[in-house]
Order: sequence, then structure tokens, then C-alpha cells
Amino acid sequence: MTEDRKRILGLLAEGKITADEADSLLDALGSSAGEPSPASASRTADWPKGPSATGAPKFMYVKITGKDTVDVKVPLGLLRAGLKLTSLIPPQAMDQINDSMGEHGMSFDFNNLKPEDIEELISSLREMEVNIDTNEGDNVRVFCA
Amino acid sequence: MILPPLVINVRVYEADKTDFHLWLPLFLLWPLLLVILALVLVVTLLVDFVSFISGNRYRHFTLLVLNSLLLLAAVRGTHAHVNKPNTLVDVDIY
Repeated sequence: MTEDRKRILGLLAEGKITADEADSLLDALGSSAGEPSPASASRTADWPKGPSATGAPKFMYVKITGKDTVDVKVPLGLLRAGLKLTSLIPPQAMDQINDSMGEHGMSFDFNNLKPEDIEELISSLREMEVNIDTNEGDNVRVFCA
Repeated sequence: MILPPLVINVRVYEADKTDFHLWLPLFLLWPLLLVILALVLVVTLLVDFVSFISGNRYRHFTLLVLNSLLLLAAVRGTHAHVNKPNTLVDVDIY
């Protein structure tokens, strides 16, 4: 419970404000604290709560709850299509991309990626889950389902 | 069957500042894109054929264009909702 909520409930307990006033104050606190709007909440209501146990994942989910609420859903088909596209990039352009990535500390050669590796990579993402609790009370979750 | 994105819905709301709402029916643009694609594919097929005749190892320009379209189609289903105090950002690609 936040300090503001405690203060409002304290004022109610002391009889300094009425129950209706406390209710409206708590409502205002809720809306200003970044709680998801009903429309936003209904949009994400059918999203999975965690990684899928079976089958190949179809989407990557990023969920941040706390002071701010962030819900992101990205199709893994985008990753698949992107990696397949890299195998068709002209060699000269690919060398430039690899050199540029190497300069930024990412020594990764896209030429080594084969179609079966892409499927294995996406399948392995099913087991990936990132769960971070920050000191500010935010929770960050990344998973595929 | 992979369907391309049909509609993009963007909403940016900042209390007392901005209330921007964009509903873009992309399916209206697809016929135009198909015409452009047909022209581009003719050119890439020609380039690939010339590359093949001249013995050039790289002759995948047609596949590159088609896979770029697949990448574009794969964007469908992306959703992003950001809800901060007094700020709301929604991006939905259907």
C-alpha cells in the first residue's frame, strides 16, 4: 500500500473525511498512479500470463507493471522473417553490416545462420523468461508464448 | 496464409496537451502496392536473369523483394500499450 493510500485511510479512520470523499480520493489516486484504463486492460485480458508450456511460441510479450504500465506483444514471425531476409542480403552489404556490428561490440555473423537454426532459436525462446523486480516497485517480465 | 497488416491504429494521449488518434486502413493501399510490386518484380527478375547469364554468384534480388514483403506482413499482430500517469500510447497493427 502506498503512503498516499495510508494517509487517506488514516484521515477516514480519524473521521476527518467521509467515506465518499475517501472513495473519490482513492479513485483519483488510482487513475493518477498509472493504473491501466479499462480499455487498455481489456485489450490485454486475453494475453497469456506466462510462457507457454508446449508448442512453438508465436509472440514475445513484454509487460511492465508498477508506476507505469507497458504491454508489448511482438509476433515472433517478425524475427523469423527478419533472419530469413538476412540470408538474402547481397554479400557486400552483409559484410558491411557484420563490420558495423563488430565495431559496436556484436561480433555476430548472420551468414552462419541457417533456416533450421532459426526454427531452433524460436523454439528455444519458449523456455526464456525474464522477471525483474526493481527497487521502485516496478516489475518487468519478458517471455514468449 | 500470411495476411499483410490491414489496419494500423495509433493513439497518443497526454492530459491537457495531445489527443492524437490515427486509424489507417492499410488495406486501401494494398492494390497500389501490388501494382508497384509487379513492376519491381519485373525489374528484379530481369536483373537476376542477367546476373545468371553473366555468371554472377548473387542473383537473389527477386527473393529479397518477396522476403521484404514477408517481413512487412509479419508485423501484423504487433501491439504496444503504454500507460503512464496522464499519458497513454496505444499502437495496434491488425
